[in-house]
Amino acid sequence: MDLSPGTRLPDLDLPDHTGRARRLSELVGGDPTVLLSSRGWWCPKEQRYMRELCRLQDEFEVAYSRIVVLSIDPPEVQAAFRAGLGARFTFLSDHERRWLGELDLCEGTDTLHEPYRPAGFTLFPDLTIHRTYNGYWYWGRPRMEELRRDMREISEAVRADWEVPA
Amino acid sequence: MRPFAFVVFDGKRLSADPHADGRRLRVDARCLAGTPVEGAFAHVCALPQREAAVRYDEPEVQQARRDALEWWIPMLGDRLVCLSTFAVDASLCGGAVTVARDAALFEYDPFARLFPETVVATDDFCEVPPPPGPVIERYAGSPWPGGGFN
Repeated sequence: MDLSPGTRLPDLDLPDHTGRARRLSELVGGDPTVLLSSRGWWCPKEQRYMRELCRLQDEFEVAYSRIVVLSIDPPEVQAAFRAGLGARFTFLSDHERRWLGELDLCEGTDTLHEPYRPAGFTLFPDLTIHRTYNGYWYWGRPRMEELRRDMREISEAVRADWEVPA
Repeated sequence: MRPFAFVVFDGKRLSADPHADGRRLRVDARCLAGTPVEGAFAHVCALPQREAAVRYDEPEVQQARRDALEWWIPMLGDRLVCLSTFAVDASLCGGAVTVARDAALFEYDPFARLFPETVVATDDFCEVPPPPGPVIERYAGSPWPGGGFN
């Protein structure tokens, strides 16, 4: 599947960390969004990165922007991981690996877990991809400043009143 | 759809009839727009007096919404029917309501830090997917988590 900037991400239908059925479009809810695929709770790089993301959520929560994390952890594991992090955003669970192959995001080098490879997508409200990040190496993940920049660029494009109304 | 509907609270009863006697409060319109869940319980954290309100921007209101996203909604799990803050106007919060299939966990409701709690039986509210977070800002005077830019 082509997941390059300008293409549209499929409207993923997966359970969230509470087990409720969700659609990505519902979670995006008309706002600029960052979708991050994640190996899972066991990876120390994920633990480190998610803590960083939790600090950024304080800005997202007042800026009409969303964060969604996608992994193959079951919902109950995601719920525990999320609680430990103090995260207030949604985790989507592809524990059945329904979307993993379709999205072509499988980390083939990990034959034990068959997880998602870390990747980042900043999204317009209609799920069009603004920018992509390959996080196979830790430094390839979007830095917090890059996420701020992308949210700013998307917001500027989609908010009709970005320029202060006269 | 208008982003809010009205409920009326008189201190003991919560009514979805906007013309009932009591204090009219705005709730997320989705909470009253679907098929009602029968035999549910509403945890009303509000007072009937009109002056009982705090600004949405006050830290205690913001933190209650953060707590709802972080642990209150996951704690309720399948018990949750819906939740909404009560908007008084474009800037003031009159409290909140959490509707659940039973009242077992209401003692933990973070919105009870804002206003006194009342538990009422209700057949008026329908199931609404909980907010995904992390947004706690509201849209143009809507009760949180209602509304949007769409």
